[in-house]
Amino acid sequence: MRSFTRVRTAVAACALSGVLALSGCSVLGEESGGSASAGAGEAGAGVDDAASPEADVPYDVVPLLKPDKKYFGAAVEGAPNSTKGLDTYAEMVGKQPNLIEYYAAWGDGFDATGVRNAWREGAMTLMSWEPFDTPVADIAAGKSDTYIEEYATAVRKLNLPVVISFADEFNGHWEKWGTKNVTPEDYVAAWRHIHETFIDVGASNVIWAWSPNIVNPVKSVKLEPYYPGDAYVDWVGLIGYWTIEEDGAFDSVFGATRDQVRTFTKKPMILLETAAMAGERRRADIRNLFAGVTADDDMLGFVWFNHKKRADWRLEASPLALKEFKRLAADDSFGFDVRKP
Amino acid sequence: MTSRHDHYTPQPYDPYADDDFTWFNSDGQSAAVPQGQQGQQGQQGQQGYGYDEQYHAYQQQHEQYADAVPQQPVGQHEDQPTYALRTVRYQQVPDEPEYHIPQTPDAGWDDRPSRRRAWVSRGVLVVLMAIQAVLSLRLSNTAFQDEALYLAAGHNIIDHWTNSTPLHSGYESYFSGSPMLYPVAAALVDGYFGLSGARLLSLLCMLGATGLLYSFTRRMFNERVALVAAAMFAVTQPTIVLGWFATYDAPAIFLLALSAWIVVRTNRAPAIAVLLAAPVMVLAVAVKYASALYVPTLVVLAALTAWHHKGWRCLLRAFLLGLGTAALVGVGLMYTDVLAGVQQTTTNRAHGTDSAASLLQKSAEWGGLMFATAVAGAAAYALRGRMNESPRSYGLNGPGWRWRVLLGLVLTGTAVLAPAYQIHLSTAVSLYKHLDFGLLFAAPMAGVGVIRLVGKHFRYPQLGILIWVAALCLGVSQSEWRFGLWPDSTPLVKAIEPYMKPEARYLGATYEVPVYYLRDKTNHSQWTSTYGIGYSDEKGKIHHGREGYRLAIEAGYFDLVVLDGVATPDLDKYLEQQVTKSGHYRMVGTISFELSGGGTGSYKIWTKTS
Repeated sequence: MRSFTRVRTAVAACALSGVLALSGCSVLGEESGGSASAGAGEAGAGVDDAASPEADVPYDVVPLLKPDKKYFGAAVEGAPNSTKGLDTYAEMVGKQPNLIEYYAAWGDGFDATGVRNAWREGAMTLMSWEPFDTPVADIAAGKSDTYIEEYATAVRKLNLPVVISFADEFNGHWEKWGTKNVTPEDYVAAWRHIHETFIDVGASNVIWAWSPNIVNPVKSVKLEPYYPGDAYVDWVGLIGYWTIEEDGAFDSVFGATRDQVRTFTKKPMILLETAAMAGERRRADIRNLFAGVTADDDMLGFVWFNHKKRADWRLEASPLALKEFKRLAADDSFGFDVRKP
Repeated sequence: MTSRHDHYTPQPYDPYADDDFTWFNSDGQSAAVPQGQQGQQGQQGQQGYGYDEQYHAYQQQHEQYADAVPQQPVGQHEDQPTYALRTVRYQQVPDEPEYHIPQTPDAGWDDRPSRRRAWVSRGVLVVLMAIQAVLSLRLSNTAFQDEALYLAAGHNIIDHWTNSTPLHSGYESYFSGSPMLYPVAAALVDGYFGLSGARLLSLLCMLGATGLLYSFTRRMFNERVALVAAAMFAVTQPTIVLGWFATYDAPAIFLLALSAWIVVRTNRAPAIAVLLAAPVMVLAVAVKYASALYVPTLVVLAALTAWHHKGWRCLLRAFLLGLGTAALVGVGLMYTDVLAGVQQTTTNRAHGTDSAASLLQKSAEWGGLMFATAVAGAAAYALRGRMNESPRSYGLNGPGWRWRVLLGLVLTGTAVLAPAYQIHLSTAVSLYKHLDFGLLFAAPMAGVGVIRLVGKHFRYPQLGILIWVAALCLGVSQSEWRFGLWPDSTPLVKAIEPYMKPEARYLGATYEVPVYYLRDKTNHSQWTSTYGIGYSDEKGKIHHGREGYRLAIEAGYFDLVVLDGVATPDLDKYLEQQVTKSGHYRMVGTISFELSGGGTGSYKIWTKTS
């Protein structure tokens, strides 16, 4: 009887220690898994794991701010929501663009699908956010806060890098948010307010491109009063086109603006919208474009505006120019996979 | 059916009718009728009355002696008067029956130690330790600042010894224990098994402390008290937390428990044997300087535990222990350079701003139940020394009342030392950890308290269960709360890992954590904390405080800024403003976290881009 009791005690003790060991193991496994994954790098994260809404680690866009190679961008009809036009363009120029620009009105929802589509192709999305119906002063005064917060939350959740250019060509009188309607103070206040809201929500995965039109047509408008400050801007995006009214030198198009911007900031620049008017000079203009971007280390690249709007800026309009474009774009320094900067 | 009478016939009342055995049958045999008879009875009908059975038993017993009692020849002389005694052959009848009635014990159990009791108690102890282990193991979070600091320091020291890499100096000046002991040992374990391994070392220490507490309490009182003491100690918040917390505290508590065990264990041995405890005590003090607060308790305990065996000579024992400890401490101080650290972290620790009331409240929340039980135990013990029900116990009333009062005061009073000292310093830093040192000593008295409440023969077990379950609930919830007080640093570490460059400089609140996790890529010297800065500008002028931070950020001195808003919330806000204002920095990301108690916050990370 006594030996039976002893056996029973021993069995109970064994069972207990077994339970203990098991619970210990599970806890240990969990813990060590945590520290092991802490060591794993985020670099090269594919779209699927980076895009997971639960992603704890915010996407770090800093390596994309000034990459070694140039951005090779395009604004193509339907992209990035539909990749059809993009594929056609890529085939046409012989290289996959890595920056896709599209235009959205203030009040539109965030096109997460588009951004994901582009990302899958190795391209980042540049969204030009245009306040057609909402006064910039109202935005600055916080009247659109709910919208901004929702938008920013969506951007944060997607956790992929996005470039946002708010109210571009603000220095032009032709836009609704241009010099006729908006004061520099309101513009700066609105910009900062949007930026701060995004940061508050944790959407640090936005690259902020401050995008004036080149000063050539509006020489009287000084840019500095419109500048929100280095803490609020990542890129200076220049918008300018080669037209027959001016000579085709790179500096003639962008020089004056660049020089003026360089008086108040050293932020890297990008040609946020550019193209050359169809015509005899087009091939030379394209050559100048590539040469100008290559020559300047602070020039991150360009976005070719491949639309027929006011003029036909599409490359397919002039086969000779397209050929030249294709030849220059083949240079290895243009274009890279934004997923592995 | 049965042949039972149809009508009720009153029978004499038999109180033992339902018993399986009877008082009549005292030979220890079952009084049940033999099988055959039982069957017969069954056939005869279910006599409901045990009386018949008893009769059978009696008859059966009587029949045993049938051969010994001569019988009159039957038949021959029947119904005939006789006038003469006939002679019968004498036969020896035994004076005593062959059966014997065992002596009835005066108590149902024996209070002397027995193997069975020892093993049953140890079994219960193992269960308690299993509970303690499970409670500790269920806690999870990334390394706390202190854990990270000690482990990283340990790695640094080991690297220095093995690869002669530069030693980040100054550990001695602000560590609250010797940097050469625990940090090195823990880092060694950490190197092989990671943080969990280092924490497991603490768990073993705390389980060891519980085991030793049981052992020395059993020697001072008995198993019951010892088990309750261990049960109470095992489920308090500090014990649970320290069992999964890679800091000095767990090994220091273990070493103190070991010293107490040696002191109690050697109470009958020659006085010199107590010196065995001296090196252990000194080691405890070296591992964590604050352990010195409990050395006097151990010295007094050395005298008290030997009083019954040695009388006044017990003072010699205490004197020897004190002398031995002092001598070893003296030698230690002579050959090491820890005095500055002791002053900085322990004796002259920075005074805080916590009010006495808030400290008392915290102490009460975290250790109050156990302390109250210990006080009750000490009072009950002072009033009555008898510790068990057995009337045969040695020294029924236990030791004299003066001794009892003294023991109660020493053990319970020790629990007050840490809160009292922290109230003196007005700081709640590490209060919960220091409480556990005192609770280790108060535990035996808490055990007495609960046992007295439960009463003789376990009369009110529900009271004991009530107290223990309350302690368990408090311990479980408080330990979980405690482990949620710092943010999970996993995403932070992931986010800043790409920025760890050999020559870079970083500003970081609680930077010890990333330094620990990313120790292959960064080291302490690259980081500036939010606790203070000495920024040297271009002209070589040193700036401190906010001005120092402002100028450093303005000049783009830091390559990365990491703020969490937890330790220095006001300064963090100021720094954020400066970072934004400077324009040199770009936000890498914000990582929000939730703390226990509903608190939220976020890590904010900026990197220099221009």
